[in-house]
Amino acid sequence: MKFLTKINRNYLVLFSVILIVFSISGYYVLKTILIANTRENLFSLEVLIEKQLAENNQIPSLKPIIEVVKVNNQSVNHPEFKEKIKYNSHENEQESFIEYSNVIKVNGAYYSVKLREASVESEDLAASIAAVIFSLLLAAFAISYYITKRLNKTTWNVFENNLKEIENFDFRRNTGLQLQTSGIEEFDRLNMVVNNLTAKLKKDFISLKEFTENASHEIQTPLAIASLNLEEILQQELTEESFSKVVTAIHALKRLSLLNQNLLLLAKIENNQFTTSEFIILNDLVKRKIDEFEPIFNEKNIKVSFTSQSDFKVKMNVQLADILINNLFSNAVNHNIENGLIEISIKEDAFRICNTGMPNQLDNEDIFQRFIKGNSKSHGLGLAIVKQICSTHFLEIKYVKNELHCFTISQKT
Amino acid sequence: MKILIIEDEIELLIAIGNYLTKENYICELAESFSKASDKTSVYEYDIILLDITLPDGNGLELLTTIKKYNRKAGVIILSAKNSLDDKITGLDQGADDYITKPFQLSELNSRIKALLRRRNYAGSNNVVFNEISINTDSKSVTIKDQQIMLTKKEYDILLFLIINPNRVLTKEAIAEHLWDDNIDLADTYDFIYTHLNNIRKKIKMAGGADYIKTLYGMGYKFTDS
Repeated sequence: MKFLTKINRNYLVLFSVILIVFSISGYYVLKTILIANTRENLFSLEVLIEKQLAENNQIPSLKPIIEVVKVNNQSVNHPEFKEKIKYNSHENEQESFIEYSNVIKVNGAYYSVKLREASVESEDLAASIAAVIFSLLLAAFAISYYITKRLNKTTWNVFENNLKEIENFDFRRNTGLQLQTSGIEEFDRLNMVVNNLTAKLKKDFISLKEFTENASHEIQTPLAIASLNLEEILQQELTEESFSKVVTAIHALKRLSLLNQNLLLLAKIENNQFTTSEFIILNDLVKRKIDEFEPIFNEKNIKVSFTSQSDFKVKMNVQLADILINNLFSNAVNHNIENGLIEISIKEDAFRICNTGMPNQLDNEDIFQRFIKGNSKSHGLGLAIVKQICSTHFLEIKYVKNELHCFTISQKT
Repeated sequence: MKILIIEDEIELLIAIGNYLTKENYICELAESFSKASDKTSVYEYDIILLDITLPDGNGLELLTTIKKYNRKAGVIILSAKNSLDDKITGLDQGADDYITKPFQLSELNSRIKALLRRRNYAGSNNVVFNEISINTDSKSVTIKDQQIMLTKKEYDILLFLIINPNRVLTKEAIAEHLWDDNIDLADTYDFIYTHLNNIRKKIKMAGGADYIKTLYGMGYKFTDS
């Protein structure tokens, strides 16, 4: 849930409760005040009547509001209020009244006094006032809700834009992080923190990249010196034992150099340093590679079949495409058996290479990991490079073992 | 043949220098950009071996000076970077070839010879060893005026051997010469043996002598001694 939606929803619930509670309690408070007021009025009316009786000895009457009757009863009742429903002949309807009844003594005579006031009117008044409160509150709420919503939107707009910018940020592109300032302290502080963090990460990223490359290049030179010197030793008269040792040493250096180059290559692919890409028809490349590998296939007595249903077009870096097919071919050869098979097939949306090999199924995840070796002579980076090339070109590689070990490359959907 | 070797690693510089001197080239050495720049603007060379990463300058910039004062010189870049971009930049700026470190001296020799042939130095595109003659234009091999048919790989191996006579070449060195570095094969150097046997047979059938000596099953030497 969005921050603003959440705030607004809470606001709505809270305000509905406040609105209802205030309206209802307002109604009752007003009603009580009005009734108290009515009683006050009735008391003062009684005082007026008492005064009139004392001065004029005249019995006032205004039915049904004022009813004064002379009584013989000498006991003075306590004054009391009652709610009564009485027929009002003037308005021709039942009305509820507040009735005040008392017995008063004026100049030695006793009078029963009954004063009434319509209670409905005060209730109506309370209800209408409550309704006015309700609508005023509602209007105030609606306006403030709308205004806050608009204000929030403009305030959070900057935040949303910055969030988008951060989401799309990529170290490999050389553009820095462009965050808008909002003038809001918290947001600007967040920007500052993010800016510092990305600057540091970028610095680390670049220095790591440079380190990998430099280290790799620096390693190649001493390797070259060592192998050149060994090669020179080989030119002298050597016993078989010494010859074999020197050859082994040269071979080991070559492996080290190859390993180093492949690690560098892997780092470069991971860092997206191969930027140029073009549409390649994989079929042509595969045909060329089959020719190139032919002597190797022949040497191992490997039978190769190639079926091409239609062209498989991929957009990728030419050098990487070459390495991709090279590594898959090398893999199919390296892990093959004597008199084995390699089956290559290309469809419109997939390339598949299958080879005979060890009878056991290989782990689908493991084989693409670095330094996982099928045999001790490979360096264990070939398939890791294949996987990395695929993932930087939106291609998917899958390994399946049925009768043959099969690798399928297809466009990622 | 005069060769200038520009390389900042002294040990590498000396190793290459010694080898090429033995191969009867006249070698001059430069271990820095400034020294190389001086030499290329004053003297003429047939071949310049150029390391790109020099401590006091970029080797690629030297190409401009070389192209100005040494237009006849062939340039081979020696680089620790196996990067296609660098290769393309170097070749675009006038280099003739590109070899990645670490390399075998025999491979370097073969590249130098190929470059000299391309530039028509030594007056011919014929490589001759006693009765064997290879025409590098038509890629044909004749023995005592009789042409023999070789496959492409057999031809490449024979040429590589003849260009590096009296030199011990390991199976790996030959295999590397045949394929570029990108091919990652664990243990398929044995096919070299098959190819060499075929070459031997074909030369023998045409009446040539067997110059290919096998050394303990690990290396080969093309020699008539």
